[in-house]
Amino acid sequence: MKKCVVLTGFLFLVLAFGNAFAAEKTVVIGMQGPITGAWAYEGQMAKQSCEIAAELINKKGGIKSLGGAKVVIKVEDDAGEPKSGALAAQKLAVQKDVAAVVATYGSSVNEPSSNIYEKFKKVNIAYGSTAVRLTQNNLKYFFRTCGRDDSQGKFFADVVPAKFNAKRIAIMHDNTAFGKGLAEDTRAALDAMVKAKKVQIVYFDAITPGEKDFKVTLTTLREAKPDVWYYTGYYAEAALLVAQARDIGIKCPFVGGNAAINDEFVKIAGLDIAKGCYMTNEPLPVDLATPAAKEFLAAYKAKYGNIPSSPWPTYAADAVNIIAYAMDKTRSTDSVKIAAYLRDKVNGVPGITGKIGFTPQGDREGVPFYLYVVDAKGKIVISK
Amino acid sequence: MQVILEQIINGLTIGSFYALIALGYTMVYGVLKLINFAHGDFFTFGSYLGYTVLVFAAAFLTIHFGLWGAILVAVIAAAISIALIGVVVERLAYRPVYRAGRLPVVVSALGTSIFLQNAIMMIWGPRFQAYPSELIPNAKLMLGGIQVSLLQVIILVMSFLLMGTLYFIVQKTTFGAAIRATAHDRSTASLMGININKVIFFVFTLGPALGALTGVMVGMYYRQISFTMGWNYGLKAFTASVLGGIGNIPGAMVGGLILGVLEMLGAAYISAAWKDVFVFIILILVLIFRPTGILGEKVAEKV
Repeated sequence: MKKCVVLTGFLFLVLAFGNAFAAEKTVVIGMQGPITGAWAYEGQMAKQSCEIAAELINKKGGIKSLGGAKVVIKVEDDAGEPKSGALAAQKLAVQKDVAAVVATYGSSVNEPSSNIYEKFKKVNIAYGSTAVRLTQNNLKYFFRTCGRDDSQGKFFADVVPAKFNAKRIAIMHDNTAFGKGLAEDTRAALDAMVKAKKVQIVYFDAITPGEKDFKVTLTTLREAKPDVWYYTGYYAEAALLVAQARDIGIKCPFVGGNAAINDEFVKIAGLDIAKGCYMTNEPLPVDLATPAAKEFLAAYKAKYGNIPSSPWPTYAADAVNIIAYAMDKTRSTDSVKIAAYLRDKVNGVPGITGKIGFTPQGDREGVPFYLYVVDAKGKIVISK
Repeated sequence: MQVILEQIINGLTIGSFYALIALGYTMVYGVLKLINFAHGDFFTFGSYLGYTVLVFAAAFLTIHFGLWGAILVAVIAAAISIALIGVVVERLAYRPVYRAGRLPVVVSALGTSIFLQNAIMMIWGPRFQAYPSELIPNAKLMLGGIQVSLLQVIILVMSFLLMGTLYFIVQKTTFGAAIRATAHDRSTASLMGININKVIFFVFTLGPALGALTGVMVGMYYRQISFTMGWNYGLKAFTASVLGGIGNIPGAMVGGLILGVLEMLGAAYISAAWKDVFVFIILILVLIFRPTGILGEKVAEKV
C-alpha cells in the first residue's frame, strides 16, 4: 500500500513536471510540403531544413520578445497534389496555435492551398512555387521566399549589362516554352533601360533545337555586333552555339540561362571554349556564403550527413526564419499582425539565401540569383 | 558582300551533308520504290562507329598513319561496317516483304529505324557524345577576304568528289546503265539479262556507306553527336531528295545543296525561328509547279 502511494506521488510529480515543461512557452509554425509522392525527396529535405532552422532559433534562446518561446514545427503532408494540398491546408489553417505556415513546393499545389489560408487569415510562405500568377490574385497572407519564373530575366537586366559595360545586347532562345519565356521576360525586364536609351536589343531570334549547324544564324548575330549574348535554351545547343560562334569570330561574352551550362556543356564544347562562359543561376546551397547559411548548412550536415542538393530547402528554412523574426518583432503570434509586418517592415533582413524583403504582392524582393562562370579547370563557380 | 559569301559557304556546307544523305534515299527509291526510313539511322550509326574508332584507336592509328591517316581509317571502317549492316538489313527486313506490296516494306523500314536508333542508344548510351577535339584539325583559311575553316573546305571538296564519282558511275558506265534500267522498269531490265540482285546489293552498300561517311564528317565538323540526330538529318535529306526529284541521283545532289542554301536564306534574311517554314513553303511551291521535283522526269504510268 505504501509503495502504491509513493508510486502515485511519483507519478504526480512527473506529471507536474511534465506540465511545467509543457507550460514552457512554445510557438507553432506549420509546414506543408510533399513529404510523400513524386516530390517526396524535395519535401523531406524541406521538412528537415525547417526543423534545423527551428533548432538553431531555439538554441539561441527562442523568440526572445515572447519570453524565449521555443519554435515547434508541425508538418502536414500534401503529397505534391492539389487535392491533398487543400486538405493539409485546411488542417493547419483551423489550428489556433499555428501562427504561420511554410507552404509549399509545387505551384499547382500552392494555388488551392493559399486560397484556404487566405480564408483563415493565416500567413503562408511558399518556398518552391515559382509560377508568376500566384502573387497576382491580391492575396493578403501569401508570401514566397523563392523567386518567380521571371526573376531570372530581371536578374540579367540588373547585373549583366553593367558588369560587361554592354550597350548592345543579343538575346537568343530555342522556341521551347521555357527558353522563349525566359527570353521574353528578359526583354521585358530590359525594356526600361531600352526606353532610357541605355541599352539596345540588337538581336532577338530563335534557333531550332536538335539541329547542329547554327553558323548562318550566328553570322547574322555577329553582324548585329552585340556586346553580350544571352542564350536561354538548353546545354546541348548552347555548347554547339558557343563553339561555332567563336569559330566565326564572335568574341563577346556568352551568358547562358540556368539550363545552358552544366558539366555536359563543358565536355561537349571543350574546355578551351567553355571557360569564361557565364550563366545566370539560382545559388546552389553549396555556394551560399552568408554567415546564416554557413551555420545552417553546418547544422544540416551534422545531422543528415550532407547538405541539401537543391536550392529549395534553403528557401523553406528562410521562411521559418522570417516568420520567427516577425513574431519576435511584433511580440505576437497573431497571423494578421505578422502578415502586416512582413509586408511593410521586413526589408533586407539577413537570411540563409541572402537579404529578405517582400513586395506589396508578397513576392520576394531582390531574389537571389548569381552569375556563374566556367573557370580554367572547367568547374562552374560564382563569378567574382 | 563578304558576309553573303560567307553565308553561302555556310549554306553549302549544310547542303552538302543533306545531299550526301539524300543520295542514299534516292538510290534506294529509284531501284526499289521504297522510302528507306532507316537511312537516317545508318548515318547516325556510322557517326558513332567513327567516334569509337577515333576515341579508342586514335593513339595507335596516329602513330602508324598520322592524324589524317587515322581519320581516313575511321571513315573507311565506318563506311564498310555500315555497308555490311545495310546489306544485312536489306536481306532480313526488306527482301522477305517485297512481294507483299509497298506498304509492308515501309512499315518494316520504320521498324528498322526504331530498332537501329535504340540499338545505338543501348550501345553508346543516351547522352551526347563528343568527338575528341584534339583530333580535329582546326586550321583557318582566308579565301578572297573571307575566313573558312580547313575542315569546311575538305568537307565541300569531299562531297563534290563523291557526288561526281557517283554521277560518273551511274551515267557513264555499263553498270550504271543497268542501275538506270532497273530503276526505269525492273521486270523488263530483268528480262534483258540484268542481275537485279546485284543492283540491289550495290545500292544497299553504297547508300549506307555514303551515309556513314557523312556521319563521320558531321561528327568531326560539329563534334557533338546524339543517337536521335538521324531523324532530323534524315527528314531534311528526304525533303532534299523530293525537292530534287526522288529517284534521280543528280536531283538529290542539287536538292540537298538548294535546301541548304534556302535554309541559309531563311535564317539569315527572314528569321532563324521561321526558316523551316520558309523552306517548306518553297518546297510546296516547287512541288505545285513541278510535282516530280526539280530534276525529276515525268515517267509514264505503268499499266
